[in-house]
Amino acid sequence: MTEPILDAVVGVQATDWRGAVHAACAPLVTAGALEARYPDRCVAIAEEHGPYMVLAPGLALAHARPEDGAVQLCLSAAVLSRPVEFGHDQNDPVDLVLAFGSPDDASHLELLQSLAEHLLAGLADELRLAPNRVEAVRMLGAVA
Amino acid sequence: MSPAPNRPLTVLTVCGVGMGSSLILKMNAEKALKSLGVDAKVEHTDVSSARGMKADVAIAQGLHTDELSGVAPVVIAISNFMDVDGLRRQLDEALRAQGWLE
Repeated sequence: MTEPILDAVVGVQATDWRGAVHAACAPLVTAGALEARYPDRCVAIAEEHGPYMVLAPGLALAHARPEDGAVQLCLSAAVLSRPVEFGHDQNDPVDLVLAFGSPDDASHLELLQSLAEHLLAGLADELRLAPNRVEAVRMLGAVA
Repeated sequence: MSPAPNRPLTVLTVCGVGMGSSLILKMNAEKALKSLGVDAKVEHTDVSSARGMKADVAIAQGLHTDELSGVAPVVIAISNFMDVDGLRRQLDEALRAQGWLE
């Protein structure tokens, strides 16, 4: 697997779902793995198609397409100190926003497969309890 | 009742982007179909591309299923992508209703 860029933020104070998406993408933008327009595209796609990124109760996976400014394979987590509403009829409110980007249509397949397995095994609740960024990144490291 | 397809069932998992949510849904659909003993070929795509495609079964979030009514005779709406058992139950019921599973 291509080594993904990993990062996390904990104790995030987001005012709404758009802020939460930006918070999850922010460290990856800082690292240069995502262009600054990428989180805007995630928000725009959700505004067009609805809250597609809300996968399960309390959990969102923000993502857009390679051409939306994904430079390198990357994955991050934002643990919110206050949950936000995405407008999902069953899975709101959301207190954990993951974000990933892939530079093409294939690089992320293994990462996402591993992420799905780890989520089924309880990764989301582990991340919610992460005491700090270092621990959260270490948990994400198990996925990569 | 439609005749059982004499080939692997074609299943399309769909999300707004076609990169992440639909891919996770594909993996969980493969798990669920395998546990039901159903031979299936699962592909994932975005909702815009899906509208030009045909399959036996389409699986997506409820917010997309209206757009998928012409894509497949069986359209399954899910809300929790991590609930493989729930998806298995939905598939079991829908495939039995079609006569595709005994």
